[in-house]
Amino acid sequence: MRALRKLILGETWALPIGIFVAVGVAAVVRSLAGSADWWEDSGGFVLLALLAGAFVAGLGFRR
Amino acid sequence: MTFVLTAVGAALAVALELFEAMAIVLAVALTRRVGAALAGAAAAVLACAALGVVLGPVLVAQVAGDALHVVVGVALLLFGMEWLRKGVLRLAGRRARSDSYAEFVAEREALSEAPPPVAGGFDWPGFVVSFKGVLLEGVEVILIVTVLAARPGGLAPTAVGGTAAVALVLGLGFFLHRPLRRLPETELKYVVGLVLTTFGTFFCAEGLGADWPLGDGGLVIVLAFWLLLSQGAVRALAGAGRGRPASTEAAA
Repeated sequence: MRALRKLILGETWALPIGIFVAVGVAAVVRSLAGSADWWEDSGGFVLLALLAGAFVAGLGFRR
Repeated sequence: MTFVLTAVGAALAVALELFEAMAIVLAVALTRRVGAALAGAAAAVLACAALGVVLGPVLVAQVAGDALHVVVGVALLLFGMEWLRKGVLRLAGRRARSDSYAEFVAEREALSEAPPPVAGGFDWPGFVVSFKGVLLEGVEVILIVTVLAARPGGLAPTAVGGTAAVALVLGLGFFLHRPLRRLPETELKYVVGLVLTTFGTFFCAEGLGADWPLGDGGLVIVLAFWLLLSQGAVRALAGAGRGRPASTEAAA
């Protein structure tokens, strides 16, 4: 089971949790945006920024 | 653009995992018995094929439309960002470089310390080591390939890339071990991480109702973003860790 978890989620918890949080926040923002056009035009970049934050957090710069 | 990137991503992911699996099978074959090594590898390939046959149709049948984009995107992000994270740490000198040849040597040393196979009997320990090694690498290949192929229009480029990789690795297998030593695995795994992360970001955003500028050409924008961010991280980590020894974390 440990090998399977490592296979799917990787070696750290920070990165998979960060990915799920980023996608979840993007989904919430999208639902709040409703039918506004700005999400269609800029939603991809919002998700990109959230994922970039998750990636940097997963690198563990403090170590 | 999408076709080429998908084919390259699938080919590199399949080839690199196959190289790692081959290192284990070769170690068993050269240290113990060739028959047990090949039987273990064949059994693992069958198990992986069964997983692929079940997983692909289930994924496409159960999840459709925007939800499929999000599921495929998140799966690609889980694999891609982990490969990218390891690639950045390796390129920054914070982690040992990926080296299938070193794994091959280590596996041979470990196997040589085990009791030798009984004369006339089947070498079950060799079979199990070969089976387990190929299964673990193979499952990752199946998951990545299934997810890449599950998205609309993804089957053909994934099949082309995957088939080319299998032919390449099996062809090189005849000339091992020198090619194994020359392969820039760290850099190639970093590229796979970039490609998978790019696709994951792209499909996830599409599944959430966002449109990328330039349509599929938006992949280039996303790829450029991840390239710049990851290279910036490599430089920052390398600068911060100058003078520190590389981590002894597992290289896999």
